[in-house]
Amino acid sequence: MAEYKITKQERQAYAIAKNIKENQIVIVGTGLPLIGASLAKRVVCPSCHPIVESGLMDCSPVEVPRSVGDNRFMAHCAVQWPNIRFIGFEANEWLHDEDRLIAFIGGAQIDPYGNVNSTCIFGKGDYLQPTTRFTGSGGANGIATYCNTIIMMQHQKRRFIEKVDYITSCGWMDGPGGREKVGLPGNRGPQMVVTDLGIMKFDDATKRMYCAYMFPGVTPEIVQENTGFEIDCSKAEIFPDPDQEILRIIREEIDPGQAFIKIPKE
Amino acid sequence: MNKVYSMHDAVAKFVEDGDVLAIGGFTTNRKPYATVSEILRQGRKDFIVYAGPGGGEVDMLIGEGRVAAYINCYTANSGYTNVSRRFRAAIEQGKLTYEDYSQDVLMLMLHAASLGLPFLPVRLMQGSGLMKYWGISEEKRKTMPKLEDLKCAEIENPMVPGQKVVAVPVPKFDTAIIHVQQASPDGTCIICGDEFHDIDIAVAARKTIVTCEEIVSDEYIRRDPTKTRIFGECVQAVVWAPYGAWPSQCYDYYDDDDAGLKEYDKASKYQDAEDAKAQLAKAAAKAEKAAAAKPEDAKLADAAAKAKKASEDAAAGVRIPETFQDYLEKWVYSVKDHTELLDKIGGYRLMRLKNEPHLGYSTRH
Repeated sequence: MAEYKITKQERQAYAIAKNIKENQIVIVGTGLPLIGASLAKRVVCPSCHPIVESGLMDCSPVEVPRSVGDNRFMAHCAVQWPNIRFIGFEANEWLHDEDRLIAFIGGAQIDPYGNVNSTCIFGKGDYLQPTTRFTGSGGANGIATYCNTIIMMQHQKRRFIEKVDYITSCGWMDGPGGREKVGLPGNRGPQMVVTDLGIMKFDDATKRMYCAYMFPGVTPEIVQENTGFEIDCSKAEIFPDPDQEILRIIREEIDPGQAFIKIPKE
Repeated sequence: MNKVYSMHDAVAKFVEDGDVLAIGGFTTNRKPYATVSEILRQGRKDFIVYAGPGGGEVDMLIGEGRVAAYINCYTANSGYTNVSRRFRAAIEQGKLTYEDYSQDVLMLMLHAASLGLPFLPVRLMQGSGLMKYWGISEEKRKTMPKLEDLKCAEIENPMVPGQKVVAVPVPKFDTAIIHVQQASPDGTCIICGDEFHDIDIAVAARKTIVTCEEIVSDEYIRRDPTKTRIFGECVQAVVWAPYGAWPSQCYDYYDDDDAGLKEYDKASKYQDAEDAKAQLAKAAAKAEKAAAAKPEDAKLADAAAKAKKASEDAAAGVRIPETFQDYLEKWVYSVKDHTELLDKIGGYRLMRLKNEPHLGYSTRH
């Protein structure tokens, strides 16, 4: 058997899977988080419960779904709730003072405190007529309000910036106590950012982003070069690659159609 | 009472210009495309649109200039088009009046409408741009009688002193359009799979048009009332429209039409032929610049040559890519009604979309 050569996306998917804990309820969208959660469910952490914001609970899709409302999620789940039940479930989660809910969100811009923009890039314009417009919040704002999150981003200088144009999903706002000031639960917030370079976390005291792990081959210089603000890499360790069996499962069982994990042709 | 109408008559009677329109379904699932297409054919316009998580159906209305205001939380044919393209272009060109809410807040607003609440307090959007930026200002809202004066207002929770909450308005819908699996002549509906916000808008709207895969008798639909989801008295019109959610999905019945959604993704890049020419010329200039900056890169040179050819072909009228207008002409305006559309799509193509019962989707879509 030929050896699988790992891709950046597979590193991210594996990093996602490794950060899901036993029995956790995992809010996933489509794309990489879904591949990571599928990997967790199959191999790394089978006791987790993937749920989606359309209201489908404990999903175990046979084929990779394209959207959170896809029939592929709807078949083979535990309960088909309408979206409002999902919102209520998420909002009441604070009643459980335990670390049992984790959510994945994405975005186009992020600041050092984990505030994320997925609405629009102002560019030469403004909110009303931006240079680049995206879909809008979707479920991300509510998720970032009530849940601990893991943010998925491409690590680029233009995305990791000092101040985002528009906060779609609140992170730690302007630092310690920032969430409480605007009325958000202070004991919830972004836990890490998984990028194609590694895993960034937030300092307990200052709430500022630092580099906790780098993928093999990545250096502190590369991380800083691709970050639009000063980022501390002094504590960064190397996040080891998964073994061949994990890659085989991703490619042959989870995403054989390469819906989200694209394998470059030799 | 028999509420069965033809698609034409239902829209002619129950959809009026300027209506506040609520659309059921979720991005690419159970979206009422048949009704939206008929609305386009009949030229109805000036809607204030709420679609929950919207997709191509909203994008078509926006691209055709039928939307006076769009209340958005998410608009994409997920998995096919990352951001709906006519929606995106209309905002980037400053042509669309719109408001952003988070999906949570918008869905709760639709639910609050079904409950008849006067306004809705939430602890969402706080600290975010969703509160800070208004797409439609208070002044402008005051000129729009069917829109509340405020997007939102931070107030103190009267029950919990010191706690800040966000009050949002509860919309009043003129017309709801939804697509369901089964309905009976008196308007009773069975929805299979996730109901999404469809029941909420059917209860809340003054007029509800239901399209369905199958019409069954009033007696038959009541044989198992655990399956019925909408009381017939909430419904004004029942229309038989098999594959009425095409090209989106319909649980237990069919999958999305991969080819159809991909065609829309490509076509909707360009509003019309003029737009295609302009965009291709711009892309060619950009590719040429990129190639000139790195003369040693053969790939960039190749891409620039291709882009140049595409631009020249379009400018000369030799080959213009399919546009949004072409797509609508092909799949909406050139057919008289939904039944003609089904013939045009073709029997084999539709049969391939049928859900495989053991999977809940199609492996041939």
